[in-house]
Amino acid sequence: MTFSAEKATMIEFKDVHKYYGDYHALRGITATIKAGEFFSLLGPSGCGKTTLLRTIAGFEGISSGAVMIDGKNMAGVPANKRPTNMVFQSYAIFPHLTVEQNVGFGLRKDPRPQAEKDKAVAEALEMVNLKGFGKRAAHALSGGQRQRVALARALILKPKVLLLDEPLSALDKKMREQMQMELIKLQRQVGITFILVTHDQEEALVMSDRIAVMFDGEIAQLADPETLYRKPASRRVADFIGTMNFLPAQIKSEAGGKVEIEAHGFGQLTLDADQVSGANAEGASIGFRPETLTILFDGQTAADRESMGTVEEVVYYGDMTYYDVRLDGTDAPMRLSMRNIPGRPVLDIKERARVAWSPSAMVLFR
Amino acid sequence: MMRGGWFKVYTIAYLIFLYAPIALLPIFAFNDATVIAFPLTGGTTKWFAKLWEEPELHRALKNSLIIAVSSSLMATALGIFASRASTRYSFPGKAGIMGMIMLPLVLPEIILAVAILTVLLGLGVPLSLFTVILGHVLVCTPFSIAILSAAFQSLDRSLEEAAYDLGETPASTFRLIILPLVMPGIISSLLITFTISLDEFIMAFFLAGNENTLPVYILGQFRFPQNVPVIMALGTILVCLSVALLATAEYFRRRGIAKTGGKDTGGFL
Repeated sequence: MTFSAEKATMIEFKDVHKYYGDYHALRGITATIKAGEFFSLLGPSGCGKTTLLRTIAGFEGISSGAVMIDGKNMAGVPANKRPTNMVFQSYAIFPHLTVEQNVGFGLRKDPRPQAEKDKAVAEALEMVNLKGFGKRAAHALSGGQRQRVALARALILKPKVLLLDEPLSALDKKMREQMQMELIKLQRQVGITFILVTHDQEEALVMSDRIAVMFDGEIAQLADPETLYRKPASRRVADFIGTMNFLPAQIKSEAGGKVEIEAHGFGQLTLDADQVSGANAEGASIGFRPETLTILFDGQTAADRESMGTVEEVVYYGDMTYYDVRLDGTDAPMRLSMRNIPGRPVLDIKERARVAWSPSAMVLFR
Repeated sequence: MMRGGWFKVYTIAYLIFLYAPIALLPIFAFNDATVIAFPLTGGTTKWFAKLWEEPELHRALKNSLIIAVSSSLMATALGIFASRASTRYSFPGKAGIMGMIMLPLVLPEIILAVAILTVLLGLGVPLSLFTVILGHVLVCTPFSIAILSAAFQSLDRSLEEAAYDLGETPASTFRLIILPLVMPGIISSLLITFTISLDEFIMAFFLAGNENTLPVYILGQFRFPQNVPVIMALGTILVCLSVALLATAEYFRRRGIAKTGGKDTGGFL
């Protein structure tokens, strides 16, 4: 998950705008993606993430600005001349060809002798764990196998950048999680820059070195997964990444790197200036993640603050239990998560609970 | 009676009404009486043998084959362009243009034929097999588009993009990816338009000038009662041929859908 700053720039967006008629799909995208990075474009459908990916591939022209790949401006460079390859959402496996012919498709104009090309195909198939599948008909493969063929077909050309358009969305949960791990390993192995488009925030957090969260054709925040989770730049990003509790707050005073706030039900709190985050259209509010609240059992004491509350909802996940707890004096229940340790009881609805919390785990949106 | 029983009776009655006359064709084709009536008088194959002795029939058949091959090739070629354009690109007035191309499907053919005849005569174009071909292309193209649109529609757009992404040009992508995948549709279109052209009467009647086509010849023969059993024999052959062609066309259409992993949204059979 670490990201070293000395890596070379692979892709640079310079104030990229894209219009479809009157519709402003990309609104001034400026960002850089480093060589060898696993980068994700994350956002809800219609946010422009796929459009942005397609401007890299060359399937989508841009209205203004520039897309640079490895220092070269891609204006006027068609998709078949760009150093990128793509794994499509539908995988786009050629149904009339065999697995082998699919994987070797991009080598058609390669001047190497056929024996070498065959070897490259065999290696590519082995890389994606499809050794021995070469002669199969492509239309007879399962979803996960198609996915692997698509990967092998794109990687065999050794592109500078591999573009992945929601590649896991068609797989079931178990297969998806397995492919996530395989993709991470594959990316480390080949060292190629991977750019993934996804609407699944969990997938983005699991797989990426850095993530660009997009809303309405703009990048709302570009950061590593931990920063994104711990210190979202806006309430909208916070809401999109994982679960966050929000509570309206009034800012009382700001001085000397400290912010005094009044939050309904939590009383007067003092936060550090670096806990203050960006825009919130709905007025100031504090936010905190479910795991920053802890239910205290007999014999446990809070490290910082403690409040009483009533359990309103229990969601049991096996390894975790999610509770909605309404703290005394507050208007809405707060979501909190507890790891299910053997011997620890799972509370019931309407039970009273002691809840430990800390102002230092909060983020203030203003 | 069981549920839906009357519908069953209706369906069977309908099918009998539809196919009984066709079933009579071979019966009288093999009957040795000149008069088309029951009771049957005895079996013979002489009417089929007589088919070989009719030079006029051979000429009409040759004309029909020339027309059917030419118009199915031309209609399918035009169909490929139109279906590709309508499924892949959007342009102003697309719905209107496609609607007008498909209109001959429902226009009264006799009106079309008379209109074309008037224009051709006005322009001083002599009537010939070529003018029949023009008329048949007009009639066959909508069928070709209907078949090929389905074939092009079931193509995943990203297949083209993938080929392009892997270094192919638009032309080589069309050759290597699109054409093989729509080929069953093209074959199906060729066979169906061929059959339509072969059976077509009105256009051929108005636009052929001094030439005969098979359907025009057949109608002409009914003036001579002694020739009717020969027509029955010819009809028997034509029915078998049409069924075989349509079945082959449908086979290719379905195989095409299976190949691209698409969903069957219905065809002509």
